[in-house]
Amino acid sequence: MFGTSEERRILWRHMREPVLTACALLIMLGVNVALGATLPFPHVWIVELIVAGLMVATILAFSMEVRREPPLVRLFACIGFVWVAILFAMTLVDYLSRR
Amino acid sequence: MSGGTSVGVRLASHFATVEQQKHAAVLGMWAWLLTELLLFAGLFLTALILRLTHPEAVQAAARHLKFWIGAVNTVVLIGSSLTMSGAIQLSRLGWQRGMVRFMLATAALGTLFLALKGYEYYADYHEHMMPFLSDRPYALTDSPPSRLFVNLYYVATGLHGLHLLTGIAILLAMTRQASRPGFLAAHQNRIEIFGLYWHFIDLIWIVAFPTLYVLNR
Repeated sequence: MFGTSEERRILWRHMREPVLTACALLIMLGVNVALGATLPFPHVWIVELIVAGLMVATILAFSMEVRREPPLVRLFACIGFVWVAILFAMTLVDYLSRR
Repeated sequence: MSGGTSVGVRLASHFATVEQQKHAAVLGMWAWLLTELLLFAGLFLTALILRLTHPEAVQAAARHLKFWIGAVNTVVLIGSSLTMSGAIQLSRLGWQRGMVRFMLATAALGTLFLALKGYEYYADYHEHMMPFLSDRPYALTDSPPSRLFVNLYYVATGLHGLHLLTGIAILLAMTRQASRPGFLAAHQNRIEIFGLYWHFIDLIWIVAFPTLYVLNR
């Protein structure tokens, strides 16, 4: 498919970041699966949510290449998640503070 | 693979430059993806509220979910994101044949995800874990709140599956177009824009998997 060594070198130069991104995502998934399967301590869900958040940030920054986009696109991408954060924070503050 | 084809974007009449056209397309795609994000965020938030208000019932329902199929499906989607990134990279290089193969691999992995999801639904059916079926008694009848979580599980995963099915259909249609000579010279950015959608489907599942399957199971 990629005959010459020069082509393979070019291919690897371009595929290095996507491959490393996939490896990072698989490692983080492995952490979450291990935690979910073993439940090593009572508040393990906090770690699981943090790992999921890191996976989302990795996809945004590297797979979707937000960090290479112009400022307006970066602003759009960030604002969407800020809205979601406000939605979650206001709703959970209500439920978590009920007696 | 020797020598890539020329790569570019045909300028539409209402744009001043190709760069402006490409930025407008990316911005438009992000605006749409944000509406999708809010749609799924509402479902995930509801799942978290159910976990807070009915922890035992949700735990009982979550134990019936196929944790390992969910985990394997996450691996499959991460793999499909990698092949989609490969298609984007090769489109930038003008390596059309390799790009088409990566696109087909992405569609194949998406189809594998749906096949595994279908098997999961089939197993749920046999375990009487479909509370919305009137002619099939629900397995957890002594736990009414668990119905809410299980129904939400079907809505969230069904909606995600619908997005994936749509993505596969668009990808196959685009692969057909992209295999024709001259595609990359006029429409390279279509691959980039579609890539955003595909990675977003992956992102949604990355959140759905812990929210529905993993947390406090």
